[in-house]
Amino acid sequence: MKKTYHTVNSRVPRVDARAKATGEARYAADLAMPGMLYGALLQSSLPHARILNIDVSRAKMLSGVKDIVTAKEAGTVKYGVSPARYDETVFCADRVRYVGDEIAAVAARDPETAQEAASLIRVEYEPLPALLDIDSAMSDGAVLIHDDFPGNIGAEVHQEFGDVEEAFKGCDIVRTDRFVNKRQDGGFLEPQACVAQYAEGHLTVWSSTQSVHYVQRSLSMVLGIPIGKVRVIKPYVGGGFGPKAAVNTIELAASLMSMRTGRPVKMVFSREQVFMHSRARHQFVHELTTGVKKDGTIVALKNTCHLDGGAYSSFGIATIYYAGSLLGAPYKLANMKYDGYRIYTNKPACGAQRGHGGVAARAAFEQQLDIIAHELGMDPVEFRLKNIMKTGDVTCNDFNMSSLGMKECLDAVRDGSGWTEKKGKLPKGKGIGVACGFFVSGAGYPIYRSETFHSTATIRLSEDGGGANLYTAAAEIGQGSDTILSQIAAEALGVAFGDVKIYSGDTDFGIDLGAYSSRQTLMSGHAVKAAAEDVKRQVLEVLSDELNVPRDDMDIENGIVIFATGRPDFSAVRSAYAKEHRGWVQSSLPEGLTFKEAARLAFLKRGVIVGNGAYKPGELGGKYKGAAVGTSPAYGCSAQVVEVSVDMGTGRVTVDSMTDAHDCGFAINRTNVEGQMQGSLSMGLGEALFEEVKFDGGGRVINASLGEYRIPTSLDMPNVRTIIIESNEPNGPFGAKEVGEGAIMPTIPAILNAIYDATGVRMNELPVTSERLYTAIKNKVK
Amino acid sequence: MLFLPRFDYEEPRTLPEALDILSDLRSDTKVIAGGTDLIVNMKKGSVDPARIVSLKRLKGIRGITRKKEIVAIGSYTTAADIARSDVIARSFPVLRKAALSLGSPLIRNRATIGGNIATARPAADLPPALIALGARIKLRTKGTNRTVIPDVFFIGPGRSILGKDEIITEISLSTLPPFTGADYIKLGHRAALEIAIVAVASRITLDSPDGVIRDARIVLSAVAPTAVRALSAEGALLGEYPSDELFAKAASLAMNDCSPVSDIRGGADYRRDMVRALTIRTLANAYREACGQGVGL
Ligand SMILES: Cc1cc2nc3c(=O)[nH]c(=O)nc-3n(C[C@H](O)[C@H](O)[C@H](O)COP(=O)(O)OP(=O)(O)OC[C@H]3O[C@@H](n4cnc5c(N)ncnc54)[C@H](O)[C@@H]3O)c2cc1C
Repeated sequence: MKKTYHTVNSRVPRVDARAKATGEARYAADLAMPGMLYGALLQSSLPHARILNIDVSRAKMLSGVKDIVTAKEAGTVKYGVSPARYDETVFCADRVRYVGDEIAAVAARDPETAQEAASLIRVEYEPLPALLDIDSAMSDGAVLIHDDFPGNIGAEVHQEFGDVEEAFKGCDIVRTDRFVNKRQDGGFLEPQACVAQYAEGHLTVWSSTQSVHYVQRSLSMVLGIPIGKVRVIKPYVGGGFGPKAAVNTIELAASLMSMRTGRPVKMVFSREQVFMHSRARHQFVHELTTGVKKDGTIVALKNTCHLDGGAYSSFGIATIYYAGSLLGAPYKLANMKYDGYRIYTNKPACGAQRGHGGVAARAAFEQQLDIIAHELGMDPVEFRLKNIMKTGDVTCNDFNMSSLGMKECLDAVRDGSGWTEKKGKLPKGKGIGVACGFFVSGAGYPIYRSETFHSTATIRLSEDGGGANLYTAAAEIGQGSDTILSQIAAEALGVAFGDVKIYSGDTDFGIDLGAYSSRQTLMSGHAVKAAAEDVKRQVLEVLSDELNVPRDDMDIENGIVIFATGRPDFSAVRSAYAKEHRGWVQSSLPEGLTFKEAARLAFLKRGVIVGNGAYKPGELGGKYKGAAVGTSPAYGCSAQVVEVSVDMGTGRVTVDSMTDAHDCGFAINRTNVEGQMQGSLSMGLGEALFEEVKFDGGGRVINASLGEYRIPTSLDMPNVRTIIIESNEPNGPFGAKEVGEGAIMPTIPAILNAIYDATGVRMNELPVTSERLYTAIKNKVK
Repeated sequence: MLFLPRFDYEEPRTLPEALDILSDLRSDTKVIAGGTDLIVNMKKGSVDPARIVSLKRLKGIRGITRKKEIVAIGSYTTAADIARSDVIARSFPVLRKAALSLGSPLIRNRATIGGNIATARPAADLPPALIALGARIKLRTKGTNRTVIPDVFFIGPGRSILGKDEIITEISLSTLPPFTGADYIKLGHRAALEIAIVAVASRITLDSPDGVIRDARIVLSAVAPTAVRALSAEGALLGEYPSDELFAKAASLAMNDCSPVSDIRGGADYRRDMVRALTIRTLANAYREACGQGVGL
């Protein structure tokens, strides 16, 4: 039986819609404070060099300069994302490792002075060989970028489930393909920005971040301030997509300079600095060998991956695992082997980006499956349907499919796109392609080893019962979590959506690991739901005493108390409530007892009613090394059909239509789910066709602007047909799981498979620019 | 953050006043129209004028007027103005198409035709169509008046014959002879906000709907230091009956009428091949229009 809901599963407008549409919303770069100083960074102009000397004397003399800090002042505490790979310091002490590596910061009375002062700092370098790609970094005798990592291998992973080589022997087709994507940029609209204010032992930082918690911990550790005295607040944020999920240098530098000067310090990245900071999608080189039987059963997969990591680890230790562990699923596969190598190079560090670690792997795999389907003479949709898992299945690497609407997704896009009528029947230059996707719904473990709750939430009722204030550290970064969490609170408490007011993105409001790994709807949602239920329990307890009705015989729905059997006499409660408001113009109350009346009573009996919720995933599968990356309380899946036109004379690809189905478990907000699908598709389209961060021979990004780094415009996006599949996830609040990242997974391979259908050419290198495709078509004709 | 350097700002009310200011020939002065090139370059630091003279308040340099056979476009007319003008749509649809391929709607609302010419970018979108149409550019200083054709206006990337004290006031076009058609195709990565990888504008005039080609212009863009005419390709067309073979032959010749380089937007070989592809297409579309069948894609 389907429960009827009042607030969840609806299309309520976003709680931040008005502020954003009117421009009232204030982002970190909009903030100003009395006495505020402006910071600027000095960044390395060389990709790899020893620092012989730093001379700040001329900068210091510039009028208006209030502070200059280098490694001497900042110290050399190592930090990073994962404690296993803390390899960064606030400023470089003796070595720079990429163009953009931070050497010093200046605080001055205005941004112009700060920038000028930074440019007056003289650094004497002794250049070292620049290792700008995987091959040169791995070559014999290459200089080490980090002394303790021989071969410049920053991390490696070796996993085998089943026996791949043995399994290949029993296969009818075994094929190997190589695939390479390009380094991507997050391309978020709002460059990183922050204001730091240190006063009386307390540090407060307002920052454009995806995780106030991780930033708080890093600031505390590096600057030596107790966690309890560091507060991180996230104002409105204009997108993150991964690169903002960890602390950055400006947060550290601004805090340090505020501590030293006693004045607030603001720092803002330019667009060029966003590219130099990066922490976005790695370049992956995958070699995949897949074995199948004649009947189309996928038997084994061998995956070797090299990641161009850049100069530091950032999230890379998770990326390298994801590049292996997320494959296989959503298909049944008994044998899987993975060898991954993350290589240090003298470029900005790569990290997490939407679809963390899995996007290039997925593109490579789904294209290879398409090739195999054609070799088998099987329809690519049928081939996939034959191999997919269903709810209750467990992968060879121990992922538990507690819900999986994969078949529903495939059926939906096949029928929704007219696949059967179109596949194989389109004229030359037109093509149709299909692919599937799969992703975690929240990382099973925090990025640092800890038993911490992943999310907590607190709800405090107003004393009149008229409002519920929800406090969470979860990060609304544009994806809609403030709206989702308000909906969950309203539904679970039984009040109207408009009666919930959310306060979020502040470490003073609790613990939340933040907006990454598609975790907040499930994890923060659980905590919020628990907090709401806690509040409701307390209100009903008081009511139970008052009315002499067992607590479990009552519930609250849509602002009204529901009684299981009959209706007790609550006139005393009602008249008491009226007395509390003597002299007020009384608006007429509904027939039933309202939540407001009950909550007021609870306040009078117990004081402020506060409910708490906390969530961390239960015991998850996988005891092998690396099982922590990929295991999740739930998994989302998706399927997509894309149609393209290829201009055979120029190689230009136009995506004509996209039909996308995503299993999000249960859509808390249907419009938001569709928004995530649309956004993912546009990001995937960009990576498939346009996006590539390019470097010159000196390791400098040559397209560090949104003019020459091309994210899709609205004219490049076709209309998207979005289909929501709801498989009712038992581990999710109200059955919900992810849609934030998994939705990007099928886009690239569906485009590639459609390009093949249109041209007969397989593209193993992204992005598929006109030139690349034209050349491939030309070479094929030759 | 990127900052604008400090500069003085003048906002003259009349053209003579503006020309008067410029007549001191200070080399650190820049005229500003829409600012979509100038402001970007100032922020990047590639130009650093100490004085800026705005054309914003000048009367009579924005708008499209027709006097008999001549259509005059004020230099302050924006790409958006051109794109929505009935006169242009009727008489010079190729210029409308070029204007619509420039930037994005937001950029087109500011970008002026004068700025697009004066900035002399090798890949600018309006010059190829203007060259193909035989446009004339009017230039004025305090004491002088001259009219030049765009073919001689451009010298190289960012370089032209424009004097320090000179303002582009008007671009004029003569209505086209009968049986004329033209087309402009710009190849970029995205559907908007693109600087051309290659662009080609072609125009042909026939003797009669089924006659020979009497006049032809093929202009290649982003494949040489300035937009260039494919002279040998044009020559191959003159006096010939139009046909697919003829256009293919001309297009092959056009490949050697330019000197593409490899850069961030594309390789030289690809660009050369695209010159051929786009030349064939623009000629075919121009021919169709010349026969009165309307412009194709
Ligand atoms: C995001 C973006 C996208 C763009 N896309 C395109 C594109 O697709 N195609 C394209 O061709 N261009 C493009 N441009 C470049 C630019 O928009 C055009 O060149 C535009 O036409 C310039 O006109 P403006 O009025 O803005 O010139 P301004 O920036 O005001 O001036 C440009 C130059 O011309 C001089 N100048 C301006 N008017 C006169 C005059 N009347 N007399 C003498 N000198 C003058 C100025 O001194 C300056 O040197 C783009 C720019 C941006 C920022």
